[in-house]
Amino acid sequence: MRLTVNGTPREVDPSRAPTLLAALRDQLNLTGSKLGCDHGECGACTVRLDGDLVYACLTLTAACEDARVETVEGLADGNTLHPLQQAFITHDAAQCGYCTPGQLLAAAALLEHNPHPTNDEIRAAMSGNLCRCGTYPKIVTAIRAVADTPADAPADTP
Amino acid sequence: MSNAHGDDRGRNDRDSKAARFVQTTVEVEGRTETRVVELPAFEPAPWTADTPLSIVGTSPPRVDAFEKVTGRARYTADIVRPGMLHAVIVRAPIAKGTLAAIDLDGARAMPGVREVMGPGDAPPATRLFRPDVSYAGQPLAAVCAESLDEAERAASHLAASLAFAVAPHAVTVDDAIAPDAPAVRPEGNTTAPDIVERGDVARGLADADVTLTREYRTQVALHSALEPHGAVCEWNGDHLTVWESTQGIFRVRSDVARALGVPQSKVRVLKDYIGGAFGAKNGAGAHTYAAALFARTLGAPVRCVNDRRAEQTDSGNRPATVQRVTIAARRDGTLTALVLDALIPLGISGWEGGPAQIFHELYACPNVRTAETCVYINAGGMQAFRGPGYVEGAFALESAMNALARQLEIDPVALRLKNLATRDERANREFSGNRLDECYAEGAKRFGWSSAVRRPPSAVSRVQRGYGMSAQTWPTGGGPPSYADVRINSDGSIDVLAGTQDLGTGARTILAQIAAEALGARLDTVHAVIGDTERLPYTGNSWGSMTTPSVGPAVRMAAEDAKAQLLEAAAQLFDTPVESLTTGASQVVSRAAPSNPLVSFADLCRKLGNVQIVGHGSRGPNPELAVVTVGAQFAEVEVDVETGVVRVLRIVAVHDGGRIINPALAESQLHGGIIQGLGYALFEERHIDRVLGVPLTVNLHDYKVPTMSDIPVIDASFLDGADPAANHVGARGIAEPPIIPTAPAIAAAVADALGVEMLELPLTPWRVLGALAR
Repeated sequence: MRLTVNGTPREVDPSRAPTLLAALRDQLNLTGSKLGCDHGECGACTVRLDGDLVYACLTLTAACEDARVETVEGLADGNTLHPLQQAFITHDAAQCGYCTPGQLLAAAALLEHNPHPTNDEIRAAMSGNLCRCGTYPKIVTAIRAVADTPADAPADTP
Repeated sequence: MSNAHGDDRGRNDRDSKAARFVQTTVEVEGRTETRVVELPAFEPAPWTADTPLSIVGTSPPRVDAFEKVTGRARYTADIVRPGMLHAVIVRAPIAKGTLAAIDLDGARAMPGVREVMGPGDAPPATRLFRPDVSYAGQPLAAVCAESLDEAERAASHLAASLAFAVAPHAVTVDDAIAPDAPAVRPEGNTTAPDIVERGDVARGLADADVTLTREYRTQVALHSALEPHGAVCEWNGDHLTVWESTQGIFRVRSDVARALGVPQSKVRVLKDYIGGAFGAKNGAGAHTYAAALFARTLGAPVRCVNDRRAEQTDSGNRPATVQRVTIAARRDGTLTALVLDALIPLGISGWEGGPAQIFHELYACPNVRTAETCVYINAGGMQAFRGPGYVEGAFALESAMNALARQLEIDPVALRLKNLATRDERANREFSGNRLDECYAEGAKRFGWSSAVRRPPSAVSRVQRGYGMSAQTWPTGGGPPSYADVRINSDGSIDVLAGTQDLGTGARTILAQIAAEALGARLDTVHAVIGDTERLPYTGNSWGSMTTPSVGPAVRMAAEDAKAQLLEAAAQLFDTPVESLTTGASQVVSRAAPSNPLVSFADLCRKLGNVQIVGHGSRGPNPELAVVTVGAQFAEVEVDVETGVVRVLRIVAVHDGGRIINPALAESQLHGGIIQGLGYALFEERHIDRVLGVPLTVNLHDYKVPTMSDIPVIDASFLDGADPAANHVGARGIAEPPIIPTAPAIAAAVADALGVEMLELPLTPWRVLGALAR
């Protein structure tokens, strides 16, 4: 079965990898997307499917034929980091780093749909991605740094 | 630790005496241990608050941030070995009974299955697959197959084949201490009370003008790291390599070596990245042993990673407590007695530590008596969880202090300042440093506390606002043994070698900063290598907020040793006295003209060819002082009195942790502690069905951890300064302290909003409404 992952056509076998997450991790060795709960609760496996955010652990591989999948491995342009990746580094928005790939994809999708989100819009859009280390305030800071948030947003609101 | 150099060549306080062994005390997770340790060959002069430092105390980005944001960081479950097999553990669905039937042969015949283990198939030291069940989630069998899918199918078959002779269980503290309680353990369901007393409590109670007694209850909380426990095991002949998601590589090595009966030299434990731990990943577990045993039998690498249900069932927890507190004071607020009687239902196992210690340490009360009784119940065993004991104890102690302040009509901050501990009365010793009074003052100022407590009564409305605060202490001295080497390569680049772990705390980064500072090297030339028992010097587990104060001084000493050797070589090359030389920005410079570098590290090392400079460092014994990190937090909340929903609007936190190596990373630790404390205050709670004995909160939907939508405005900081009396880096531990005061501060704010005390955590809507109905 064919699908496009980070711009490259790839072959996967849905009979050996029932979920998109298993296909990415076990068949394509793209281990940036993580398994945290296997139930669509934590968001560590968040990837983009034809532009939409999905939990790869709940997405059937067989339903992804000819689809366009983007993972954290596809965010950077060669050695040039995506602005969100650079902002996550600058603002220390990753502690253990396990949820970070999912957070980055959720943030990228948010900014594509809403380039100037308010803090509440950021919180709402990102609330499907858990971070047990409690990096949330710095993730908001990093997203806002990229989002070019209007100056009227309160500076001290996480 | 041998070193060929004399003591007169420009080293800090260097001493040529041979190493000798002395006794020291070390506090781990609040427990004091006496150890015999090696005295280092020399101890560098302490970095005081006035020492000019250029790398330590700044906030460069994490050295491993690039790997984390690109998805290249490899966690245990990302390890793939050629021919790797997959193991799944089958767990008990009942709380108590005896396994009567299991279809191991049926599972063995299933597609892809390579091996199955059940009762009697694992060495006794692993404690695996015992047929006598004492909690739901206990491992009963394991299956190993060519794919995870096939292993899971066979595990489902095994689970469906289980039959038991079921016995009565007790999964609540009340059931376990009832007169007719079923025997949870043959030794009995409770421990003898651990009683610790100072002064004369009866006298203190008699001297009091006010005495309050309350019963506080706290819940079971689950660590819920996003990366489950897991291991990949591979044998090469009689040599075992273990990739493990752990806080303690050397502890995993000794656990595995002991359980499997192999020498430690034949076991290599590797840990690169870990997806959270919080106290639950301190040694080998069922997954490690299952993977190692299957790998040995089958001659192939095996991966075994917990699923989320196992993670929320059998991977440790913060135990519940029932704490009966009596607090007594004079009318002016001076404490005269503190009394705690605590029941701690540990689960089926766990170390017998509870909430008492903070009662002895936080205040200067002359008369304190605590009694802790641990209770065994048929549930997964406890494991240390960020600030163990102190988090639970702080809720009771600080809630009682806030109740006392209300009763006496004294500002809660003033009440605490009145009873400020000026020395460690529990252990009868001075503090290395303790600026809690400044934390109160700075926190109150940043929060606007004085106007918050003096505000006029709010109008009657559905949403009520409230303010509360709490304090915290935590022993954070760290200690020996910890060793480190610093190696200068032939191009002048530097490797820091220490067998420690970075849990996401930033240990890699801060150890590199300390080495760069001590060596006078540029940070970008320093590479911290951690997480390998075979190639790196020993350090202890990354627990008890110990890594910075334990490993940091060892790294600094190794770097100072390497620097001295480098300068000796430069002195020979330039035919100049070594005392006239020092280093800065990866250059050797003359002390007389520091702006004119003599030679770069790179050029000097090239001239030396393949002469390898290796500095050795070890952590010296602790001072005879109490080393604590302290702090105060202030909370503002809104409570909807019709729904009982609490929303935390703002937390201000000010802590004193000695020298802060990297302020940005330290701030992240404050955020993490506060946010976990918020979850503990408002919604995190493990539920077990009392009748069936099975846990109900086995996923991250039913067990509620904070999401981004729950996060208040957080203003969190450390006081500037250093604690050179604690160790020569001047740093204390900081990761656990910030979780300790958050829940009592929030509970106090809710009590302030409603005018009703909160006696039980978490503050779920129905508990808040129940308190309002009282």
